[in-house]
Amino acid sequence: MRAEPGLWSGRLALGWLIGGEWRFHPARFLVTALAIAVGVALGFAVHLVNGSALASFDSAVRGVNGSADLSVKATSRLGFDERLYPRVASATGVVDASPVVQLDARIGTARVTLLGLDILRAAAVTPTLIGVGTQAANGVGGDVFDEASVFLSRTALERIGARLGAVVTVEANGRAVPLRIAGTLPGVADGSAVAVIDIAAAQWKFDRIGRLDRLDVAVADRAAAEGALAKLLPGDAVVSSAQAQSSQGDALSRAYRVNLDMLALVALLTGGFLVYSAQSLSVVRRQRAFALLRTLGMPRGGVIAAVVAEGVAIGVIGSGLGLAAGYGLAWAAVQWLGGDLGAGYFRGAGAGVVFQPWAALGFFAIGLLAAIVGSAVPARLAARAAPAAALKNAGDVLDPRQRVAWWPAALLLLTGGVVSLLPPIAHLPVFGFVGMALLLAGGIAGVPWFARALLAPLAARAIGTVPRQLAIRHLHGAPGEAATALCGIVASTALMIAMATMVTSFRGAVDDWLGDVLSADLYMRTNAGASFDPATRATLAATPGVARLAFGRQLQLTIAPDRPAIALVARPTPDAGDRQLVLIARADALPAGVPPIWVSEPAERLYGWHPGAVIRLPIGGGTRFAVAGVWRDYARQGGAVLIDAAAYQRLTGDTGRDEASVTLEPGSDAAAVTQRLRARLSPALRDQVDITQPATLRRFALTLFDRSFAVTYLLEAIAILVGLAGVAATMSAQTLAREREFGMLRHLGLTRRQLGAMLATEGAIVGLTGALAGIGLGLVLSQVLIHVINPQSFNWTMATRVPVGTLVAVAAALTGAAAVTALLAGRRATSRSAVQSVREDW
Amino acid sequence: MAHPVLLTVRALAKSVPGPRSLFHALDLEVAAGEIVAITGESGVGKSTLLNILAGLDDADTGEVAIEGVVLGALGETARTRLRRERIGFVFQAFHILPYLTLRQNVALPLALVSADGAAAQAEAEAMLVAVGLGGRGEGYARDLSGGELQRVAIARALVHRPALILADEPTGNLDPETASRVLTLFANAARDRGAAAVMVTHSDATAAIADRVLTLTADGLVARAR
Amino acid sequence: MRVSPFMAILAAASLTASAPAPYPVVKPGITLRFPRDHGAHPPFRTEWWYVTGWLRTADGADLGFQVTFFRTRPPVDPANPSRFAAGQVLFAHAALSDPRIGRLLHGERSARAGFGLAGASPADADVTIRDWRLRRSTDGHWATQVAARDFALALAFAPTQPPLPQGAGGYSRKGPEAGAASYYYSIPHLKVSGQVRRGAKSVAVTGEAWLDREWSSNYLQGEAQGWDWTGLNFDDGSALMAFRIRRKTGGTLWAGGSLRRADGTTVVLAPGDVAFRPQARWRSPVTGAVYPVAQELSVRLPDGVHRWPLTPLFAAQELDARRSGLPVYWEGAVRTTGGRGYLELTGYDRALKM
Repeated sequence: MRAEPGLWSGRLALGWLIGGEWRFHPARFLVTALAIAVGVALGFAVHLVNGSALASFDSAVRGVNGSADLSVKATSRLGFDERLYPRVASATGVVDASPVVQLDARIGTARVTLLGLDILRAAAVTPTLIGVGTQAANGVGGDVFDEASVFLSRTALERIGARLGAVVTVEANGRAVPLRIAGTLPGVADGSAVAVIDIAAAQWKFDRIGRLDRLDVAVADRAAAEGALAKLLPGDAVVSSAQAQSSQGDALSRAYRVNLDMLALVALLTGGFLVYSAQSLSVVRRQRAFALLRTLGMPRGGVIAAVVAEGVAIGVIGSGLGLAAGYGLAWAAVQWLGGDLGAGYFRGAGAGVVFQPWAALGFFAIGLLAAIVGSAVPARLAARAAPAAALKNAGDVLDPRQRVAWWPAALLLLTGGVVSLLPPIAHLPVFGFVGMALLLAGGIAGVPWFARALLAPLAARAIGTVPRQLAIRHLHGAPGEAATALCGIVASTALMIAMATMVTSFRGAVDDWLGDVLSADLYMRTNAGASFDPATRATLAATPGVARLAFGRQLQLTIAPDRPAIALVARPTPDAGDRQLVLIARADALPAGVPPIWVSEPAERLYGWHPGAVIRLPIGGGTRFAVAGVWRDYARQGGAVLIDAAAYQRLTGDTGRDEASVTLEPGSDAAAVTQRLRARLSPALRDQVDITQPATLRRFALTLFDRSFAVTYLLEAIAILVGLAGVAATMSAQTLAREREFGMLRHLGLTRRQLGAMLATEGAIVGLTGALAGIGLGLVLSQVLIHVINPQSFNWTMATRVPVGTLVAVAAALTGAAAVTALLAGRRATSRSAVQSVREDW
Repeated sequence: MAHPVLLTVRALAKSVPGPRSLFHALDLEVAAGEIVAITGESGVGKSTLLNILAGLDDADTGEVAIEGVVLGALGETARTRLRRERIGFVFQAFHILPYLTLRQNVALPLALVSADGAAAQAEAEAMLVAVGLGGRGEGYARDLSGGELQRVAIARALVHRPALILADEPTGNLDPETASRVLTLFANAARDRGAAAVMVTHSDATAAIADRVLTLTADGLVARAR
Repeated sequence: MRVSPFMAILAAASLTASAPAPYPVVKPGITLRFPRDHGAHPPFRTEWWYVTGWLRTADGADLGFQVTFFRTRPPVDPANPSRFAAGQVLFAHAALSDPRIGRLLHGERSARAGFGLAGASPADADVTIRDWRLRRSTDGHWATQVAARDFALALAFAPTQPPLPQGAGGYSRKGPEAGAASYYYSIPHLKVSGQVRRGAKSVAVTGEAWLDREWSSNYLQGEAQGWDWTGLNFDDGSALMAFRIRRKTGGTLWAGGSLRRADGTTVVLAPGDVAFRPQARWRSPVTGAVYPVAQELSVRLPDGVHRWPLTPLFAAQELDARRSGLPVYWEGAVRTTGGRGYLELTGYDRALKM
């Protein structure tokens, strides 16, 4: 019994204390645990879905690439000269090289990657791409050199729905070729739709004589090989590796994924605030119990231990539930939305959710931490209270004259503002998010001051009825209490408003831009690699009703192997009046003798191609261009460059065009002209050309936009629901805690109805305060999103548009919800007899 | 009397913010088995004195010794331990935790030092029998009247066999008849266990149970004739 | 008689080809001309240069080696203008038998001809697949260079005897059907000198080798399961080649061979003159195939039946190239009374599809 008055010796008493609280207020614990669970579930689900999407993208890349050590890749689908092959194959450090013709192909409606391979080289370099025939008893199938045979990956076979031995028509590069399915590609992972044919057949049948798209390389000495290859590669080929390929996919969607992760963490943060609210109230309610125990000889740390232990329990239960729910959510999301949650980053890459134990552990820990921190802060406050005073005082020690400090909030807000202006780290707006967190913390810290400032004019004047006066004076006197109830809702409202403002601004900007860009009357586009040859173009341009036909070429151009390819758009010279080209910057003077080029905003930001700069693009063996201007483009996140069609043809010799914008003669009927245009196409081409009206394109684009933000909306809604649940829980707890006050007031002669009015007023004011604070803070945060996070993540800028309707709705919903909650809780609190309420000690 | 002196207070002084000091040069000795009542006007510092005796508050000058141990020389940890093991408390507002059973409430002082729940609860049950609430241990505070609650509090104050019991207006929330019964019980229980008791009250009826009645004034404790 | 496992691919290809290319038919009554016939015969469907032999290091250790280059002509459309068109495809295989290692070291190369990376000259023996090469120089000497992961060979072969046409002046029957035949000649008793690298260590070697050259368009009949083949250099300068083709149902489908004595007189062996009798079997722990690695070869010569025991250098000379999608066979150095040579056993894992 001589032990230190440690926590350990007093564990029985602590256990009783916590157990008793749980038995008597299980709902409180459950709600707080649920708040944590929601945060953990969202975070974990988003992480799992992202992980699955990336993994499937990765495996799709590997599926097509056959996991070679290194690859020499063409910078665009024009390919490179096949005579590079022997030079690469005999370069220093290279053991073997496998030449590849790679085409985007279509079999029926299924899209597949068509690879033309030399099986003998592939066997040494990329063995996963080797086909196994139907009669392969002796190893390699017999159809390997047969020009009419194709080998399909399982996924391709499933998508096509054909059997082995069947003859299918493969469309690629504008050719349609019947091929017999001779076997499968068992080495290609599920999810990759790959078709393999002999390389000679691919060059011959798909019009790629003399060209290669890729050389897969096996190396003995990687450094030597990379060095040697760098020296001998022409301008239209780059060295790439599986890692570079993966990081290419990663780079494209990383910002999106990080943003989603952040949103999920915000939900968790809100959960943490909710725990803080709930535990604060619970601590206040149990202040005298803690004081008694300390008087009886429990050490100061015992109080902290008890509350933190509760936090641990909340965290463990909440995080556990959250992980299970998160896994379920991820599964459902992948089932219904796809691996990229509808954002379209990983099109064609099938995904399955894989449980990630380390991530699970991480999110469990974060959830636990949020619960513990949320508990530890009020616990420390409770432990600091002098036990004797706490025992004597019946309720909150309020002093309405006490000033509320404003400077911590101001300091946090200021720091947040400054930090968010710092430049990105590794193309991620890390400081933007840190700044947002600081702003959020500052905003919440400022809520008591805000509430006081808001209520001061009301409290100073005697307006309204007694209940109203009581309500206002209570809040004015105890703004900290209101702030405790509000911090969760302020946080979630602020973030929701910030996101809503950002998305509204973004959508508005995209909508306006689409209006500008889609200024033609009809759009034609080929699919499956078909193109309009010069003769077809002449025929089409002469269609009655067509005033002007502008043909363009669009192809992917790899600038750096580990970055997403940019889009190279070749169109007739963009003149000043071209509405499709929304210029946001223009070069003053251009160097003479260098062809001009117009770069999109993301391309400018990603590659530093500012107006007036002279840049080199890997087309036509590497050519210099002068940046004549920067145009707005919300369609291609990886960047795009626009080049005059004539210059393009001169540099590359490529006469094909794959898109056209059609301007009609006044009075022509778009549908009729569509018919006529279609009729003028050759039968082979007719199936491979889409003719669309701008309205359709616009609708399609906005649908895509909304789908990619659908998950964002969902996360926001959940965050605000958690916040509302928090406000309900804290309001009701606070109301119940004031039972004796209500008993006293009824002794003084207030009717139950008057009490109800008082509580409803209080609730409404609390809700309104929260809504106003949240909206104000949210608008500040939205500026960080619009001007820092968005440009740094996606390289898009836009002007702010405030979603006024949403703001009003949120304010109304919050005010109403808080009032109703307070009223309902008040009904319970005043249901007992006044005498009993006053007599009750606890 | 041959009883040893349990509580010694020497030249104790305490002031509160403001112009007024509560008391200065206060001396007091209480022997084992003795019950001392301290009366005085409101605001004279009775409760503050009690808090200083419990080590929950510090005097400005002077010293308090319990069983020869000087409180001022002890740190917070040692004071907490002393309180836990050698002092029992009875409050005006009972402070029976509503979410613990009565037996758990009584056993709390034991549970703070030992994880042996069964032993603690057995002693608590014995204590409940001693205060006339045998068999009610599984009940909760809401089932009891004020007098019964204070009897539970007395049981809790004595369960760990403290040397000193401090009581702050123990009958303040009770009607006179109940108060009288509870007080008798309190006095007998304390004496039976050889504990010294210091009781702060402004009720003469309550003070009457004590062996000595002292009145707290600004000049110190003044003995009152019986 | 060297029917390569690589033939599996090509035979299967010919079965499924959409437009079979017209291959020249192997007919009796030709005369081999050198050096032209050392070089490739591109119109024929398949052809090989097959060197096997015994080596001795400076410290007296015995090694066996095999270096083989195959040329095939897949039945692809000759109209294909692609430089990658698989009109001619080359394979090579090399193996080293070292009793101290106790298993075969082996390596492969393959490529379609073209781009200066692989090709077979029709003028004289000169076959290359990237860094692997087998060629005959104008002075009549042969040389090869092959490098695999575990070993490398750089060997020169000096002829000591003229080429030995097999069968009827180089026309060699492979079965009861008249079309199943090949053009076939051997060069026994090649004097070997050069370097063998095992791991990082190179040693100088000398020894004696046997070259087989064969080209054809039509090979085995469907009833064949596989074959046993041996080529033996005797210490007295004589050379013996014998083979038998086994039936799927058991027994011998066809057999043949020849003996050239030291004085240059040659005895051509008819199917009834050759018999292989298994003496000891070895079970591969890797594939489970059971090979008659020691056999007694009986050959009926004009002076009566002669018997030679064939005793392997060591048992585990199975060549498991399934990793590169090829079949499993046994190709091992063997000793016999007064001579040494190679024994090839195919179709013991499963029937070779031909």
